[in-house]
Amino acid sequence: MGTPVVQPGPLGSYAVEPGTVGPCHVAPDALQGIKRQQTNPARWNGPNWDEFSTAVRAHGIDLRETIAARAAFATDAGGTAHGLAHGVVIARSTEQVALLLRAAQEYRVPVTVCGGGLTTEGETVAFGGVLLDMTGMSRVLAIDANALTVRTEAGIFWHSLAEELRRQDLDYLSAPLNLTSSVGGTLGVGGIDVNSARLGCSADQALALQVVTPTGDIVECSDTHNAELFQRVILGYGQFGVITEATLRVRRYTPLRMHYFYYASLATAIEDLQLLDRNDASDYSGILTIMDCAVNVLVAFDSTEREAAFMANWRGRLRGYGELGFGLRMLAHYALRPWKLGEAWYLLQRKRELFPELRRPEYMRDGTMFDRSVVFSRAVWKFWGSRQMVIPDLATSAAKFVEAVERGNAVCRKYFPRYTLYLVGIKLRPEHLAHYEMSCIPPDAEGWAYGCEFEPMLDGRAYSRDYLQSFKNEIYDIGVDMGASYYRFGGMMKGYIRRVFGDAVVDRHLALKRAADPAMILNRHVIF
Amino acid sequence: MLSLAKNAPQPDKDFASCSGCGLCLLVCPVWRRTHDLALTPLGRAKALQHGANAADIAVSVQSCTLCAACEPVCPEDIGLVEMTLDLRRRLPQPEGEQARMQEQTARPPAPQPAATAVLIPGTALRERPVTLARAQALLARTGKLALADDDGADIALALEAGMPVPKQRLERFLQPLRRARKIIVADGLLLRNARQWLPRAELVSLGVALSGLTTVRRALGASDLYVIEPRAYHADYQRLVKYYDGLRAASGCTFNLDLQRIAIPAAAPTLPQKFGLEAAAGGDDGVQARWILQGRNVTRIVLECMEDAAAFNSVSGLPVVHLADLADDGNRRNNDSRNDNQA
Repeated sequence: MGTPVVQPGPLGSYAVEPGTVGPCHVAPDALQGIKRQQTNPARWNGPNWDEFSTAVRAHGIDLRETIAARAAFATDAGGTAHGLAHGVVIARSTEQVALLLRAAQEYRVPVTVCGGGLTTEGETVAFGGVLLDMTGMSRVLAIDANALTVRTEAGIFWHSLAEELRRQDLDYLSAPLNLTSSVGGTLGVGGIDVNSARLGCSADQALALQVVTPTGDIVECSDTHNAELFQRVILGYGQFGVITEATLRVRRYTPLRMHYFYYASLATAIEDLQLLDRNDASDYSGILTIMDCAVNVLVAFDSTEREAAFMANWRGRLRGYGELGFGLRMLAHYALRPWKLGEAWYLLQRKRELFPELRRPEYMRDGTMFDRSVVFSRAVWKFWGSRQMVIPDLATSAAKFVEAVERGNAVCRKYFPRYTLYLVGIKLRPEHLAHYEMSCIPPDAEGWAYGCEFEPMLDGRAYSRDYLQSFKNEIYDIGVDMGASYYRFGGMMKGYIRRVFGDAVVDRHLALKRAADPAMILNRHVIF
Repeated sequence: MLSLAKNAPQPDKDFASCSGCGLCLLVCPVWRRTHDLALTPLGRAKALQHGANAADIAVSVQSCTLCAACEPVCPEDIGLVEMTLDLRRRLPQPEGEQARMQEQTARPPAPQPAATAVLIPGTALRERPVTLARAQALLARTGKLALADDDGADIALALEAGMPVPKQRLERFLQPLRRARKIIVADGLLLRNARQWLPRAELVSLGVALSGLTTVRRALGASDLYVIEPRAYHADYQRLVKYYDGLRAASGCTFNLDLQRIAIPAAAPTLPQKFGLEAAAGGDDGVQARWILQGRNVTRIVLECMEDAAAFNSVSGLPVVHLADLADDGNRRNNDSRNDNQA
């Protein structure tokens, strides 16, 4: 078990059998002297497709094969992986998903599951087979305002969930700052919010799931019921089942009181962020940068009491500046470095564009921000989004974080004139340690893990995929060197998993996958 | 300048600029009803990016309600309404509409009104003469107001279908309006286009014109659900989102706005349904109206647009009134009239 099955190809090359993890072709010793690159997986060429399609249609499943239906899913948010499914099925019920997976297992047809499609490494792109669009299952099933829980179909976008919760003055606990992430997709990979340093990742908020296994069984699971399946599906990158329903913790809605502190040093900002997190000094915290020149520590509070306690106990210990003070400091900095005026102009322009968006009056009243997810998510797409997005990341223990970020920052500087960093802490839940195995949570993290996304501003410039891939590899090489983990280790980056997680862990998960998914049909190109 | 420019649809941006963020789905009434990506702006853009043509996505193109909710949320500032209309122009046009426009063209032109303000009330409001008279009376308090002879209903339908409007027909519609300084238009799509045809006139929606009156504002209460007409609102979103935020602060009423401050349409008829070629699927309108009402503790529904009345009446027993109906309190009228004139 664990040794990849390698078969000679028609031209004497060697192809890796689907459902195995091959030798790492981006390892330093794998292709000596050859430029490292990764490409889309080979397209599944459709054996048994006709029989399969006849069988699923006989069950009343609407399998769409038109170009219009398939092309809508031809790429993901990353925009560097492209593929076409043979057909698309919009999920409409758990039973329908179960029927589909049973047929796929029988006819060995790959099934790629897509929620919001916000992956960046092609994880939600189908290279042949069936694309299962989970957003067709987007109903909120039950809200319990007393128990503070919600039961929802898993294809729902977090924002749509928030729309329904807000009508009852409730809100979700923690979700990605992206309005169109789906609940199911997020629970499968983690989900980071600016309150993760206090509440953990979004997946930590799941109390129970309904899962359709790769063989088409419908199973209810939680930490106490079918716990092993629950542990593998949470943060499982879609390898062990399709999440069709989820029970999540929710909370009473509160607007936020926001504060921003500005730093010129990444290390200082990170140290202050970790100080706040260790001492539970804020309800929300994170770092967002414009390159490494303007480093913004965001701090926010659900209540005036928490805000007052912060101002009394912690504000004075932060080394960041207010907006005016930082502006004056930058003025002096660039006045002494006239050769960097281009950089200064960029920072100024960025500020002029971005700040009004974060302070739109319809979302801000009396220093309070309503609907933070709307404000930040719209800004994310307006100011950081584009048709191609490359966002390698590093996740480390608290102790290693400054070094990891500084090394990653140096790689960004080397490859791109403009970029941004997004850094946030993730509170680890001791009772969820089993969930974290082979996930973005690094095994040596205690108390908190820290994640940093390195996002170049592509700004419509044309970069080759090799160039972008080389950038990602160089970031990930830092992780291998430091014993870190990653959020985005699937899809085009899965060549790293053996070096990151080690053979023992990978082979154990592979064995579990083989047992759960005999035909290896579910999300074939994500991990296994 | 750059930040201002980023807030409006850019003429050079089309489906090719779509980054796939999916924010348009969250506000799309067709998405809410179908949860079918192929029927959304994102689905159309992605299909076109990957080789589909207008005929391949005809059903999607015709399902769009042109509520324009997707435009203000698009981070790429793609002109999504124009993108859909452009695709409609490439599809076979509905029959009968050209003949209807020719019929209108043949009518003798209306005389130019002496008033400097003109109201184009639209078909639905004309069918409610009492409400229309109240609207006229209210709007006339701020100056002389004329009722347009020609509603341009056939033009509005042609615009909806992406059909060319014959020059003579357009001229017959515009000619009586050319001397007006202020034109109040009930139909949001007509308003959007009229701004290009009559760039020197002040064009406002009927909702904004009425809700700006003190009489009407005073009659709004915290238990009212105020239903904004989506097309006019989204066409001038950056300005009107602030306007309605002010109205919310002043009146305390609830709006048909979602968390992104996008107006939820009360109904979502497809193009074939608007042309009478398809019956509305059972309960379609109810989906939107029920969603607007869900979890909201309101006692009255106040409409900017009479067309929305049917949707709310079908799902709710609450009183449904037009904005103009709010101001029928004769005792207050004289006092408020003075205020409106001052305003």
